[in-house]
Amino acid sequence: MLLRLAWAALTRHRARTLLAMLGVAVSAAMLLDMVMLSSGMRESFKNLLLSRGFQLRVAPKGTLPFDTDATIPGASALVARIRSDGDVTAVSPVLGGQLHVVLAARTVTAAAIGVEPAVQGDYEITHGREPAGPNEMVASADFLAASRLALGDTLSAAAGYDPQLRSLTGRRTLRIVGVAHFIYMPAGQRAVALPLATLQSMEGASAGDRVSLMMIRARSGANVDSVLARLQRALPSVSVISTASAMRQVDDRLSYFRQLALILGAVSLVVGFLLVTTLVTVSVNERLGEIVIMRAIGVARTRVVAQIVLEGVAIMLVGTVAGLGLGLITARYLNSILASFPGLPAAIDFFLFQPRDAWIALGMLAVAGVLAAVYPSWRGASLPIALTLREEAIG
Amino acid sequence: MLLPLLAAVALQQIDSSSPHRPPRTVASDERLAADAQVRIGDRIVLSSVPGGAGDTVVVSAFVKRSADPSEVARAEYRVRMHLDELQSLIGYGDRVDRFAVQSRGGAAADSAIRRVNAAAFGFQAYRSRDIAVETSRTFAVVSRFHRAIGVITIVASAVFLLCIMLLKVDERRRDVAALRLMGISAGSIVRSVMIESALVALVGSAMGVLIGWAAAAIVNWHYQALYRTPLAFAVITPAVVALAVSLSVVLGLLAGFAAAQRLVHLPALELITGRREPRAPNRSRAAETA
Repeated sequence: MLLRLAWAALTRHRARTLLAMLGVAVSAAMLLDMVMLSSGMRESFKNLLLSRGFQLRVAPKGTLPFDTDATIPGASALVARIRSDGDVTAVSPVLGGQLHVVLAARTVTAAAIGVEPAVQGDYEITHGREPAGPNEMVASADFLAASRLALGDTLSAAAGYDPQLRSLTGRRTLRIVGVAHFIYMPAGQRAVALPLATLQSMEGASAGDRVSLMMIRARSGANVDSVLARLQRALPSVSVISTASAMRQVDDRLSYFRQLALILGAVSLVVGFLLVTTLVTVSVNERLGEIVIMRAIGVARTRVVAQIVLEGVAIMLVGTVAGLGLGLITARYLNSILASFPGLPAAIDFFLFQPRDAWIALGMLAVAGVLAAVYPSWRGASLPIALTLREEAIG
Repeated sequence: MLLPLLAAVALQQIDSSSPHRPPRTVASDERLAADAQVRIGDRIVLSSVPGGAGDTVVVSAFVKRSADPSEVARAEYRVRMHLDELQSLIGYGDRVDRFAVQSRGGAAADSAIRRVNAAAFGFQAYRSRDIAVETSRTFAVVSRFHRAIGVITIVASAVFLLCIMLLKVDERRRDVAALRLMGISAGSIVRSVMIESALVALVGSAMGVLIGWAAAAIVNWHYQALYRTPLAFAVITPAVVALAVSLSVVLGLLAGFAAAQRLVHLPALELITGRREPRAPNRSRAAETA
């Protein structure tokens, strides 16, 4: 009975109800997007950092990995020192640089990383194999497309220019033995990876025994925080960063997006609330006579309140369900915009859908729907019966 | 290169500078000065690696961070040094990362760029504005994101406005019916509703501009303090106000038109009673019946 009455009230003004539901759907879409934005970056970044099982990073003092051109000197000794820790199972040193590949009529430049292939955590081989010799390398599909080279090809590469000698420096002949997906690189980045010692020697004295970053994998079951504390004490000349502290620093940098998500999410909720409040209030005002007649024939106040609240919740729920679909589409579009941030790893999603987000958005809007109907239902339930009937009769 | 020295600025025990050479001067970032409690005239030791040998220098000035969007989220400290001092400190030799060249402007800049690029192998000359475009790509992305959010907000506002106008016009069904029974034309009624909705939109957008102005002030205050930058994050320009007000008025007019059309197409008696009146049979149907 309650449902039927609420349904009748809503279908009496179809255009109005549909518009309200559309308004709520847009608000719900925005709210879902903002909930996804506020948590998506964190989750996505965390997944990226932990994707290869390395829980700790070592960067030049005071920097984040690859945030500056600074490098860590004396890398071999540091790596040996870290490997001697009983809770550390793997240390992957990485040196960043550039590689200029000399082709017949042009030079293709790519981001290069020097790694120890046996323990590297920067890429996944999609075809071929890891470099086994000093003159072997793996490359990204974008690099192969730009250079028109293929697996098994040999190329001439250099690590830099000497402007005074007007020549390429650190030249080496390398063979492509694998195609790789580089986990931390932006989409479309031309990238190559070669053995650390090869890149160090190509870059010359400035890179001798230097690395840009070390990634550390702790033993399963080890307390990562205590490993972190031990390494921080033992290695005061570098920054040892845990996944949590890296996320805190990234959080600081991207706090703008979280705060934007909070503000726009709150505005969406308020807009949806106001829309439903206005609509239900007007609807109740139009039906004052009907409501007091129900009261006059013995319908309890609670049933009147329940019917009006049901109207508000129905608008909110239908609008929200439509909004969730709309929200997923707009999130995809907005994510495609933010994915074009220069230097952003392709694996980072600003809008990461998690069922929890949908439930949060749905729950908040359902609560807003109930709250939106509180004032009109209170007004409807507290009308003086005789006076209202008289006023309605007089018109 | 202005190498971000980060934690390399510290009061250290090791000083490799010659005791006879007077210390050089450096300018410190205001942030560094505030955080490390450094004052003008203080002597500090700079080194390129933590704990490494360094040079004693005197802080002679504080530098205010410029309103550069590309530096907003970067938290590192900076010091400005004499070029030769930095080259010596970091063992960079007689090298620099870039030259800034001032030309007479216009065509002179173009020909200078051509000459440099033709003469020097391993160098590339750029116009400053091209570099600015390249370095502000991040903000171009943010700007596109804001525009997309703006479009969603406009759609939500349009639906909200249309809803409100429908309700307002619905409230006046009887007035409209009376006007129509008095012989006022449908066109006049539609125009009056449209004017009313345009006024609602105009007043609403004026209030929105005030709220926006206050919100921009809060946003700037908060983010300037958070990132310690003079950069203005939200700016309300006359063009933005004009766009918002004109968009709002156009939406108001459309919403008013749509709402009024519903009323003028219903029979006047139906508007008064609120009940659907039986429709007159159409001509062909009547003829068929006859």
